[in-house]
Amino acid sequence: MINVKNLKKSFGDNEVLKDISVDVAPQEVVVVIGPSGSGKSTLIRCINMLESINGGHVMIDGRDLTDKKTNINEVRTDVGMVFQHFNLFPHKTILENITLAPINVRGMKKAEAEEKASVLLAKVGLAEKASAYPESLSGGQKQRVAIARALAMEPKIMLFDEPTSALDPEMVGEVLEVMKQLARDGMTMIVVTHEMGFAREVGDRVIFMDNGYIVEQNEPKSLFDAPQHERTKAFLSKVL
Amino acid sequence: MDFRFDIVTDYMPFFLRGMGITIGVSLAGVLMGLILGLIIALGKMSSNKWIRLPFNIYINIFRGTPLLVQLLIIHFGIVPMFMSPSNPLVSLVIGLSLNSAAYIAEIFRAGIQSIDKGQMEAARSLGMTRVQAMKLVILPQAVKRVIPPLGNEFIVLLKESSLGSVVAAPELMYWGQAAAGEYIRVWEPYIAVAFIYLILTLSLTYLMNYVERRLSTDDQR
Repeated sequence: MINVKNLKKSFGDNEVLKDISVDVAPQEVVVVIGPSGSGKSTLIRCINMLESINGGHVMIDGRDLTDKKTNINEVRTDVGMVFQHFNLFPHKTILENITLAPINVRGMKKAEAEEKASVLLAKVGLAEKASAYPESLSGGQKQRVAIARALAMEPKIMLFDEPTSALDPEMVGEVLEVMKQLARDGMTMIVVTHEMGFAREVGDRVIFMDNGYIVEQNEPKSLFDAPQHERTKAFLSKVL
Repeated sequence: MDFRFDIVTDYMPFFLRGMGITIGVSLAGVLMGLILGLIIALGKMSSNKWIRLPFNIYINIFRGTPLLVQLLIIHFGIVPMFMSPSNPLVSLVIGLSLNSAAYIAEIFRAGIQSIDKGQMEAARSLGMTRVQAMKLVILPQAVKRVIPPLGNEFIVLLKESSLGSVVAAPELMYWGQAAAGEYIRVWEPYIAVAFIYLILTLSLTYLMNYVERRLSTDDQR
């Protein structure tokens, strides 16, 4: 479903991703962990072409994002993204945040989009907030709305870029719960996170990145309990 | 010093007519300045430096030279290429539009760039094109932030329309000078004209404050 081949990305002289190759199967939940600056956020931002790619290929469902002929906007409708800082649209109500793209990108009728948004809001437990503005929501609520907003496009893949890092500790659980439900429903997911408990419980595979490379990847149990690489061991000893 | 109110009352019909034209050319200048300014702002933010270049040059020229000089070039040089005789009102509106467009473009650019980068990313990640993201997400938020500096620019533009008098556009200042010439008096015509400008700019200030308040209570942010 996602095939990353020899991906390279630099910001100026700083090479952030050095030859990354990774494949993600349909319905697989891949959790990416690693120290800050390891390139994990950049990796999933490249998968959505929010960062331009300096080398290699990223294929989504067989469509090569680096191919000039590929319609990036169309590919993006299949790839939902959830950001660390939510990035809700502050000038729109919660309902409008969710219906904006379905109406304007998918060409969905307003009534239909709103009905769908209501279902999604109920799913993330925020049905009563439909007419509120993002400002009045807590961080955890904002992030759940952001997830609903991404889901409204009916993506085949969901990317999570440190979705709980900007939250107060007591709100982390509610967001992770929504993500777990999504994983159980069979969504293909790549999750960049520092929540090791989530990685262990929900991940089909955990990737440890450091310094622009994938150092090690394995199923969660093996990676957490028996890391092979020194760097992985050092990192895990600090965070576990 | 004796102040001859009869000069003011005698000339009042002309002052009022001039005021009407001042308002008219200012409105036209603001309107076209807004449209041009938005285009220039978007052009200047292009990721392609060759597209950016002409917009940069435009802004530098129109901000870097006096409006008075621009107005004379437009009235005596450019407009006569298209119509004969040259029309001072047309020249004044063109001059004000082109000049204010440069300032308004920079106001828009600052407003747009002040919107968090994450907003554009979120919109794009949902499959919106750059244009859709601008129209639906960025510009509606930027509008609120540019209202105060735009109000400032409108006031400047209204006052600068007085330069129309040098190309004999019959706006307010033109009639002030006419009265001064006819009566060989300084105080009455110019004080009257200044007073009318003050009323106009204060009304505009009030109007812009009202718009600002409305926009900030319209929705929560």
